[in-house]
Amino acid sequence: MRMNLVLELLDVPGQLVSVLEPISGLGANLVTVIHKRDSKNENGKIPVQLTLEGEQENLNRVIDRFNELGVDIIEKDGVINKEFISTILIGHIVDKDVRDTTDKINALDGIYVVGFDIKLDGEDKSTALINLEVAYGKKQFAFDEVKKIADEKDLLMINEV
Amino acid sequence: MKECKIIIMGFGSVGQGIAQSIALKKAMIKDKYGVELKVVAAADSSSSAINQDGLEEMLLIHSKNSEGKLSSYPDYGSEVSGLDVLDAVEYDLLMEATPTNIETAEPALSLTHKAFKQGKDVVTSNKGHLAIKFKEITKAAEDNGVEFKYEASVGGAMPIINFSRETLSSCGIKSIIGILNGTTNYILSRMTSEGSTYDITLKESQELGIAETDPTQDVEGIDAACKTVILANSLLGIDATYDDVEVNGISNITSHAINLADKDGYLIKLIAEVSPNTLKVSPRLVKKGSTYDVSGTLNMATIKTDLAGDVTVMGLGAGSLETASAMLTDVISILKDKY
Repeated sequence: MRMNLVLELLDVPGQLVSVLEPISGLGANLVTVIHKRDSKNENGKIPVQLTLEGEQENLNRVIDRFNELGVDIIEKDGVINKEFISTILIGHIVDKDVRDTTDKINALDGIYVVGFDIKLDGEDKSTALINLEVAYGKKQFAFDEVKKIADEKDLLMINEV
Repeated sequence: MKECKIIIMGFGSVGQGIAQSIALKKAMIKDKYGVELKVVAAADSSSSAINQDGLEEMLLIHSKNSEGKLSSYPDYGSEVSGLDVLDAVEYDLLMEATPTNIETAEPALSLTHKAFKQGKDVVTSNKGHLAIKFKEITKAAEDNGVEFKYEASVGGAMPIINFSRETLSSCGIKSIIGILNGTTNYILSRMTSEGSTYDITLKESQELGIAETDPTQDVEGIDAACKTVILANSLLGIDATYDDVEVNGISNITSHAINLADKDGYLIKLIAEVSPNTLKVSPRLVKKGSTYDVSGTLNMATIKTDLAGDVTVMGLGAGSLETASAMLTDVISILKDKY
């Protein structure tokens, strides 16, 4: 079986070796490694593309080992690893064009609104819970960008810790 | 027998807690550390009780509560107050528990400087002077070669400053995230369990004495922001003052927000975040069942360290005896070092 992974590594010496070293010991073979040192992402990390070959069980052990090592796996066999985050907005959400708010969030790179629950309170401020689907490692980017939209519309934003 | 002569400045809830805790623990301290604690003066905002041979701790509390003033203390009641108390009697250690003032930091600032100049050690529960002039005041203690301890200023009885410095002394601290204000935690917990509005819950908390008549310092996040500054300076070595903290309180939190969070598996808490990049107090979503899921007036903090990983502490963040316990612990550590 073959498995394609895209990892993200810190740009410090020894990172790539520490990731490659356990692979053969776990019964998997390394087919290709593409280390794109010139294309750092916004976190200053470097994407590394790996193709591995081996029994499914052994490939799973490699994934487990990467998770233990705290290596970020952002893509597996072409499917992007996602995270789900929630945020609450309080303010005049409807008056400040709720459609525009969700459109602006959806326009952000790798961030999608997948849930929107709003409670209205007459003339008072309304409250909305927004569920977002975020590409792996983009959590902070999502919070920062949505905060900008919230600030523009004078909405209080309550984020996850 | 060695002796430690103490002045208690400020005789509200915390000051009275100090007197009571000394009454309860002086025999143990004498037995274990070989030092006799003697309260030689106690002062409220306008009067005092002073006796070089020592005052009765419980009688101080009784006098204050029956007449409203410490000057009513039998035989040794006095009209001397403020800075003058520090000149009126010979003492070794000042236990300072005057109300926090975030604008001028007084009277704590002047009292503390004066005690330092007199070569006396100081233990405080006050946040004002630490939040505005942390560097100035800790340097003054150093320059005068005296001890200055302030465990009680953050988290009441919850151990955090001495704990991080001593018990976690092998570790570097990367950040601290926690709930540092009991009043707002109580209000948010009640809004969650009762489904009540902010205004009604605040009123209930005031009736119970958990929130003050003027709740601004608590509900607008000012109190938690002061503690953020103290932790930033004392544990992360960040040279910050109150103005560096981004502060949002809980007065805008609707019961709808709490319901929506609840439906999605979250609670809303007033969270203080202390890290080299962020000094912030704001309402945040925390996962139910996580370490941040503590209710009532409890405080908690997760200390992220380089060697030990995450360490979480929890404890009562306010209360008379609880806060005094942290101050008495500070006193004991001074006794261990210097006496």
